[in-house]
Amino acid sequence: MGSRLIAALAALLLVIPGAALAKIKADETFVFPAGKPVRIIFFRPDVKVGSLGVGSVEEPNADWTAAARAKLTAEVAANQKAAGNEIVFMPEQEGDNAQIVADYQALFRVVAGAIAQHKMFPGASLPTKAERFDWTLGPGAAKLGEIGGGDYALFVSTHDAYGTAGRKVAQLLFAGMFGGFIPAGIHSSYAALVDLRTGNIVWFNVDPGSGGDVRTDEGATKRIGQLLNKFPSAAPHAAEPAPAPAQ
Amino acid sequence: MRKVAMLAAALALVAAPAGAYKLVAHGARVAVAKSEMTIDPPIDWNRQQSRPGRNAEAWTLDGIPLNEVTFYGGIEGGKALFKEVDKKNKPLPVFKSTMLTPDVVQLFEASYRIAGGSSLFEVGAVEPAEFAGHKGFRFRYAFTLEGEEVKRLGEGAGAVVGGKLWLITYEAPAIHYFDHNLADYRALVASARIPGPQVTVE
Amino acid sequence: MIRAFGAALALLAAAPAPAADQVTPIGAGWQPTDKDERGLWLEVDELERKLRTSAFVMRDPALNAYVRGVFCRLVGEAACAPVRIYILRTPVFNAGMYPTGMMVINSGLLLRMRSEAQLAAILGHEYTHYTNRHVIQGFRDLKRKTSVMTWLALVPVGGYAVAAALTVAQLGMIASVFTFSRGMETEADAGSVPLMQKAGYDPAAAWRVWEQLRAEQDATAAARQRKSRKDADGGMFNTHPPTAERLAALKELAAKHPLGGPADDGAVRYAAALRPWWPALVDDQVKLNDFGATDFVLGKLAEDGWTPDLLYARGELYRSHGDLAQAAGFYRQATEAPGAPPEAWRGLGIVALRSGDEDGGRAALGTYLKLKPDAADRSMIAMMAGETN
Repeated sequence: MGSRLIAALAALLLVIPGAALAKIKADETFVFPAGKPVRIIFFRPDVKVGSLGVGSVEEPNADWTAAARAKLTAEVAANQKAAGNEIVFMPEQEGDNAQIVADYQALFRVVAGAIAQHKMFPGASLPTKAERFDWTLGPGAAKLGEIGGGDYALFVSTHDAYGTAGRKVAQLLFAGMFGGFIPAGIHSSYAALVDLRTGNIVWFNVDPGSGGDVRTDEGATKRIGQLLNKFPSAAPHAAEPAPAPAQ
Repeated sequence: MRKVAMLAAALALVAAPAGAYKLVAHGARVAVAKSEMTIDPPIDWNRQQSRPGRNAEAWTLDGIPLNEVTFYGGIEGGKALFKEVDKKNKPLPVFKSTMLTPDVVQLFEASYRIAGGSSLFEVGAVEPAEFAGHKGFRFRYAFTLEGEEVKRLGEGAGAVVGGKLWLITYEAPAIHYFDHNLADYRALVASARIPGPQVTVE
Repeated sequence: MIRAFGAALALLAAAPAPAADQVTPIGAGWQPTDKDERGLWLEVDELERKLRTSAFVMRDPALNAYVRGVFCRLVGEAACAPVRIYILRTPVFNAGMYPTGMMVINSGLLLRMRSEAQLAAILGHEYTHYTNRHVIQGFRDLKRKTSVMTWLALVPVGGYAVAAALTVAQLGMIASVFTFSRGMETEADAGSVPLMQKAGYDPAAAWRVWEQLRAEQDATAAARQRKSRKDADGGMFNTHPPTAERLAALKELAAKHPLGGPADDGAVRYAAALRPWWPALVDDQVKLNDFGATDFVLGKLAEDGWTPDLLYARGELYRSHGDLAQAAGFYRQATEAPGAPPEAWRGLGIVALRSGDEDGGRAALGTYLKLKPDAADRSMIAMMAGETN
């Protein structure tokens, strides 16, 4: 479902340049509870990198994809360490645990899709949730915490397709002839933080126009920096009582 | 039902942004599925403006792929449950007014297998049950759609009255979602009214 | 998207690969070094990773052991040991073997095979595509001929042909879909027949399989009153169009590779291995709402006799088609033979009730309940049978 979400975001970009998309507001009051180390399980990210041809036909590039996945993963680890959080990678599982992890990842993609659809496109807002942000994987997600050894889960998904030379030419022609617009490529990403005790999505960030060329180290740094910008921080360690963690 | 196609249709939503989902306020009886079936929801729901079929309508709380209640209002003989996916190569089966419950359940299953592009569909218990004051049925099912790996559970309730099929189904991922709002769905079913003489059910 | 397949296949068929592109056959432990092929392997590995936890994979140990056993008998233990076999639950006929040594077989194919020899013919054919590295050849051919289309774009999923979005059930098409020119198909046929001979399977099973499939295409089209697609680059069999030429070539090959002794087609072993799954797989086929194809498939399977299972399946088919009178006949025949599934009485009962025969209907439903006390639909059928719980 992640790829379908990203495909829809990409489709959106292709049609409406610079569309004013609503900023998704996850629970902005969420902070990590004070005094406890924050252990975040980073799930294997959904990463797709390829090229985009003239007819908007996408060609996957496995080398780019593998490289991007490695760089983005390393960058997430660095980013979180710098933030003072403990980050662990969800290890490869076998048997029943592998199925549980896969099932929750599949569910997460669907939830992420619903969040993006209903919170990003003003016209697709759900009236009963217009002012709310309460999506969840359910309390059963605590199992993931046991399997992976953490209290939170971080999901990251990126989709990039770089315009080929042919496409760049078409872009120029098209722009010249009709004053129209063909975006150069697809560059969308999202990231989400899940509180594994409740399964609630406590933080969500989606960007259909992500920066940074993920095939490069600098680009991966820029991409993750943008994506995890305004990532929840720990409550301040101070004399006054810590703010209550969000429900 | 068209969960998997939903995001691909995001494009369409942008093209016609207003009213993609409308509020169905609690405490007011409303007609559904462009039919004479009416429902009185105890809680607020969101109605999807683009309908899955001519006489079908979908409601959701958190998003169609997360919880979906579909109303089928008086499907007539010769008609399919929802819009064709590929009429030329994979036509949907049609309802026949002489169908008995097992035939209806099979019609539902076959429709999902074809439209959902997946053979992963199982029917569980099938029981007689009152529906909108008529002798009807209730059944459970489980399925996985093409292109996804989310296992979903479903419950359906309905009746064939006056040669037409009236049906309300509820589907949600097996993890958390199905159980979470099952009672809300059953409350909608309990409130359903359809035309026709009310029959007392023993 | 089917048109896209056709276009691509036509392109491939049009020009043979230049000599420089010929690849050396694959062996166990072989790893790609070429950039194209490495990329292909990465994609396929990603695919296999999804299959490991996919709901669409049939994991029944007995069924898997049987299919694996046939494959190992065919290619030898050493060759089969590193191969991973995934059986996918989908009524679409297909099978494929990926360059990484992963084999995918659809349940729709298993339904259509009438013997172990026929299954071996298909496995041998796919295995030859693999050993002769047709996949990467075809991949390169395609890339050279068209820069716009991608090999994954040929698979009909939205317009966003990325592996993550692919239907797992359609994945069985990838290894075979985009790669195979007529030359390659001929090579694969040629490779499969000696393998069968060596393993003691009747080589004639090969052309029979393709002939059955070709005839099925005709039946589907006839029922839908459209031109058959067996010779077009479309339809279910566009990946392996069983042309008249190929059938002739296969017959010749079979004649050239006669078995020394009696032919083993393993039909009984095959039927026994499929037995626990057979009703579900037939159900998958019936519920496609493709009357012509299903009627044909059942008829072909019944060439050695209409078993009660096949009669029951036919009853289900005709009932869902609205032909209640015929359905009643098939259900009745089923119930008259020993070993009929309890569902045959259920079908008989439903049809009787719909036709106005209350007594007959109730009686038949009562028999169903007696034979299957733990039926999931017990409560509904009991009510219909007039029984009070």
